[in-house]
Amino acid sequence: MDWTPAPRRPTAIRREQNLALVSAVISGGVIAAGLILLLVARVNPETADGVRAAATDIVAPVWSVVRAPIDGAAKLGGEFSDYFGAVSRAEQLEAELDKANARLRAARTGQRELQQLKRLMAVREPTRTVVATTRIAAATAGSVARTAMLAVGGGDGITRDMPVIGAEGLVGRTLEVGRFSARVLLITDPLSRVPVIVERTGQAGLATGRNLPTLLLADRIGPDVPLVVGDRIVTSGDGGVYPPGVPVGVVVDPRSDGPIIRPAASPLGGGFVTVEKAWLPIPDTSPKGPVFDAPVPVEARTRGAPPPRLRDAEAPAQ
Amino acid sequence: MPKPRRNDAVSPVIATPPPPALLMTPAERRRWLLSTWRYAVPALASMMLLVLMLAPLPLSVPAMPHLALMGVLVWAMLQPALMPPWLAFCIGALADLLFGVPLGVNATLFAIATGVMRLSGRLFGRHGSGFDWLLVAAVLFGFLLLTGPLMALAGRPTPVLPLLWQWLTSVMAWPLVARGCAAVQRRLAATAPLWRHG
Repeated sequence: MDWTPAPRRPTAIRREQNLALVSAVISGGVIAAGLILLLVARVNPETADGVRAAATDIVAPVWSVVRAPIDGAAKLGGEFSDYFGAVSRAEQLEAELDKANARLRAARTGQRELQQLKRLMAVREPTRTVVATTRIAAATAGSVARTAMLAVGGGDGITRDMPVIGAEGLVGRTLEVGRFSARVLLITDPLSRVPVIVERTGQAGLATGRNLPTLLLADRIGPDVPLVVGDRIVTSGDGGVYPPGVPVGVVVDPRSDGPIIRPAASPLGGGFVTVEKAWLPIPDTSPKGPVFDAPVPVEARTRGAPPPRLRDAEAPAQ
Repeated sequence: MPKPRRNDAVSPVIATPPPPALLMTPAERRRWLLSTWRYAVPALASMMLLVLMLAPLPLSVPAMPHLALMGVLVWAMLQPALMPPWLAFCIGALADLLFGVPLGVNATLFAIATGVMRLSGRLFGRHGSGFDWLLVAAVLFGFLLLTGPLMALAGRPTPVLPLLWQWLTSVMAWPLVARGCAAVQRRLAATAPLWRHG
């Protein structure tokens, strides 16, 4: 049968075509807007920080509440398994305790000597201060950025660039801080660079994340001693954020072109993490106001202008 | 006034278009206002999947399936009118804010993915769920391939090969997400209000 559907009214067809055109234009505009946003983020990475902090402020407390019963259940399960393995575990721990006591006796003498020497040399050391202890509330396990969220924020004294340390080792540093939440840049993120030293050889380097379970030891300097599997990597304290001596990981693949480190702390393990004050915060050296060659008029100063800062009074730029 | 009849016939609409405002009775107007949330269900469901993605799982590679993108894709397939590219863009922007990646990466890619789903709906018409699966696997792979250049455009070049894990888990999780969203759609369609149009 030669049958064709009844022809539709031309106005309906035209309306449909117009709507399709409009929606195509809107879609194209939306994609263009996205690309423009990316360029803005390239020029000024801090563009959306306020909105970002607000978004994490909403999500992090929610997750910290949601995960509480799950943590409780996991703890209960752990207690049950502890009960069944108690005897063998106690024997193992006693053996370890004997060994540790012997090492402690040796270390005590060394420590006393070190204290005396430090007093003689008048060494002044900054102390580590814990700002907050918390659990990781949420994490971006499904994105190219490896970050986590804490349900503590500016209200608890957290600021940017504070080290976040777990029981076994370094976890990361705070990146963005909201009122009730903070975002942590994990050491496995490709942006993360941790100044470290190899404990055995004293070589300094950077532990760089690469979005994988392991880290890369890059930019190694110092004596050219080959690494071995099992070399412990600890933070060096350079850069002022991470305190020295925090375990970062152990070498698992001592290649000369880029040794591979396995992190000491699993960044998203269930344990508690502490947020500490930055080890040696870099002083704020940015000029507070414009540098004038001429003094500021009194009228301007009474209206809140910064005091005159003459160019020849400034320290020469490095 | 008779209670709204449950339309048991398979209806693809989760919110039927209301009658002209002039013809609505006050009761109908109230019912209409109370049922407007149905238009937001696709967006809300995708946002819930997005928050679910932030679960603090101890994964050392980005192996969490991209639930938010899959939610957007499945709603673009089930309800193209309620998941337009601009809405996908907004959800993607929210994902950028929550994931800590430069604003615009996920936003652009979500909008593009929705557009691709629309085009494919127009090109291929009605098809089986196996075809959907293949199509979504391809779209997710395109997302994986485009993430690298967009991150580089935003000034943060990143190795994207670890995202292959996410692609694998996402492709495996697709039937689950699709069925979940389809169940939501069926339930909503079964209770969609009916209008007598004056």
